[in-house]
Amino acid sequence: MDCKTARDLVPLYFDGELDRATARELETHLDECTECREALVALDTLRRALREDAPRYSAPRELRERLQRELGEKHARPLRPVRRPWLALAATTALAFVAGGGAMLLWQQRTDAPIAHDLFESHWRALAATSPVDVVSTDRHTVKPWFAGKLADAPLVQDFAEQGFALVGGRLDYAGSERVAVLVYRHGQHLIDVFVLPASAGAAPAATLREGYALDPVSLGGRPAAMVSDMDATERARFGALLAAAR
Amino acid sequence: MLHAEPMSTLTPSQSLVGDLALRHLDAAYNLGRWLLGNDADASDAVHDAFLRATRAADTYAGGNARAWWLAIVRNCCLARLAIRRRERGDVAIDHAADAHGHEAVDALLGGSDGNDAERALETAERRALLARHIAALPVEFREVLLLREIEEFSYREIADSLQLPIGTVMSRLSRARALLQAALGMAAHEEVKHGL
Repeated sequence: MDCKTARDLVPLYFDGELDRATARELETHLDECTECREALVALDTLRRALREDAPRYSAPRELRERLQRELGEKHARPLRPVRRPWLALAATTALAFVAGGGAMLLWQQRTDAPIAHDLFESHWRALAATSPVDVVSTDRHTVKPWFAGKLADAPLVQDFAEQGFALVGGRLDYAGSERVAVLVYRHGQHLIDVFVLPASAGAAPAATLREGYALDPVSLGGRPAAMVSDMDATERARFGALLAAAR
Repeated sequence: MLHAEPMSTLTPSQSLVGDLALRHLDAAYNLGRWLLGNDADASDAVHDAFLRATRAADTYAGGNARAWWLAIVRNCCLARLAIRRRERGDVAIDHAADAHGHEAVDALLGGSDGNDAERALETAERRALLARHIAALPVEFREVLLLREIEEFSYREIADSLQLPIGTVMSRLSRARALLQAALGMAAHEEVKHGL
């Protein structure tokens, strides 16, 4: 790794935003390069000064209490006593019925499309994680080689920032027992995962909706892929078309 | 349960959002305090944000709650900043930095004497200086730096809170660090370039 690349990566390394492989490469460089090491130390000095000497203001007690009161008053407003027990009873039964039906539906979904299930799970896991990507994209030249080092057939990587779908980065995940490349895009507030399916995965999963998230089979420049997002149908179609035209 | 009064009671999503806002109240307040420079404005902005968040509770569709809430807080702060700039120029922040110095001195000097007092004074001066340098950073650098270094947000969370592409977060963060390092005389090369 040359000094210029290393110098750009030092802040990412310092902030814990590099994937392991790149971090190892950078460490090798740091072992030999005093200047890059100094850049790292300078970042640490600044952070230490900020954490020790810049106050983290806590919310004043009055503010917290005022907000709690606002929330609490509405929470705690006494419910009117139930005057007609039979209605309450009927409602309880209805609820139990609905809950039972819901569980059954969920159970059915679990059994029908294991791949789709894995892809949704992967997307939600990524949303909940500190970072949804293992490699951060500044442009596609950081993402493509990262995949190339990890998968036999690296996916096509294209940034659609100009069309409103910026490439955030990539990560690896499992669908069934297959390792799949995941390209992560952002559109406004929406995070979009594009799972590049291995040829052996067979037919792409059918379009599915689950808890407000949609899975759509798409083509990534001819390769079967699946997209998971919470965008509306129009946007999904628009992005699907962009992906299909990727070269 | 059946007789809930829709106008005066919170919907489940409103109380969920209210709870999560309270859970991240210190982060919200700290952001407001650093952006606006004084307690009164920070409290008001966070209060506005709280009302706005519970009103817009339905637009919260899962995902990083802290980032969603801080995005609202930040918008309320920026709205206040814009009004303030229009009205009387942006002076309050520098005053706040000075005030902070005095506060720190008072807090540290209380009930101590001799060497303790001297050391306390040094610390207080160092803090006041740092506060002034941070306050002098342009808002767009200040907020990124604060969220990363003090709140320990990931790049992703910063991008979500500030509604910026992650690349912009990275470049602003590195610019903010370089400016502050230069101002504090920490950088090896460009020493007192950022005239302060």
